[in-house]
Amino acid sequence: MESTLRYLLDWPAFDLFVTQNAWAWPLAETAHFIGLILLIGAVGLFDLRILGLAKQIPIAPLRRLLPWGVFGFSLCVLSGMTFVAAIPSNFGTHPYNVLTTNVWLQLKLLFILLAGLNLAAFYVTGMSRAVESLRANDDAPLLARGIAGVSVFLWAGVIYLGRLIPWDVG
Amino acid sequence: MWEFLELIENSSFSHWLRESPSLLAYPTVLALHAIGMAFLVGLNTMIALRVLGFARGIPLAPMNKLFPVMFVGFWVNAVSGLMLTALQAINFMSNPTFYIKMTAVGAAILCLRSLRTTVFISGAAAEDQRLTGRAKVLAVSSLSLWLIAIVSGRLIAYSFYVSWRTAVAVVIALTVFLIVRFIGARVIAPSTSDARLGVSPSTAIK
Repeated sequence: MESTLRYLLDWPAFDLFVTQNAWAWPLAETAHFIGLILLIGAVGLFDLRILGLAKQIPIAPLRRLLPWGVFGFSLCVLSGMTFVAAIPSNFGTHPYNVLTTNVWLQLKLLFILLAGLNLAAFYVTGMSRAVESLRANDDAPLLARGIAGVSVFLWAGVIYLGRLIPWDVG
Repeated sequence: MWEFLELIENSSFSHWLRESPSLLAYPTVLALHAIGMAFLVGLNTMIALRVLGFARGIPLAPMNKLFPVMFVGFWVNAVSGLMLTALQAINFMSNPTFYIKMTAVGAAILCLRSLRTTVFISGAAAEDQRLTGRAKVLAVSSLSLWLIAIVSGRLIAYSFYVSWRTAVAVVIALTVFLIVRFIGARVIAPSTSDARLGVSPSTAIK
């Protein structure tokens, strides 16, 4: 298990590329910020409407903004993988060691997983369909509000935990 | 001036924020700065996209209700930003990148205010009519200014050499994105442009 993970997380050529091109790391950081802005903008707006803010907006057309959130999330995943792959030359250790010891990174990944499960719950419980028909000034069902609130909390938590990663307690 | 900055930097508050081992000190202020940014710039981006014609099914007028959330994001960032500046007052105030960031933030806020006046307060949004060119110019300006603010904000921590290279890389990446997103999409699937716009505006505002 350990040797497999160590092998999978090892990208020497990519690591070298990031080291040799000074712009690569700050570009990935910038992409990470732009990604989280698009994610919070699109998903946060959707959640806030379900929670009752700007109720005059019907839900269906709001979905048209969600692809921007998905795009933002993809930017974050790609730039995040860049950070992990470039750990060896930046911090002189193997990514495996960081993933197994950095509590903030582990909690952040857990929060992302929970946000994914929360999204799955949104579909499985039928809430996705229930909010689809909400017109202007309609209230969302209580369960949908709960899921939306959890979503806002989890994504804000992901940003918070992500910012703590450099303060390694491991 | 510099003595004053030194005073701030050496104040007991700055010392505590810098040196406290507590995660509630410096790391939390940094994290709040990122969360505030996400809500302020994130919602600003969604309003700007709507003004530019994306998701046209969303009635524009009620988007005015998002401004209080953006105000909270702004004030969280104003306060956390002041605290972060106090930490390294001399360092920041002698860094050109810091001034670029602050100018871009100021201009972005002014843009957002004008956008609010042009689109929401004027009543243009309520009539759900074609937006003026002015509104679109303001939307593009606010997006561009936030991009400059975020890139330069990140680059405050880097040397001039790295900053310069990164700025060029960002411009190239953005150009590639715009080409793929707008020209590429049109070449590959010219008929999907209507589907992207969302449902027609009607029954939206009571």
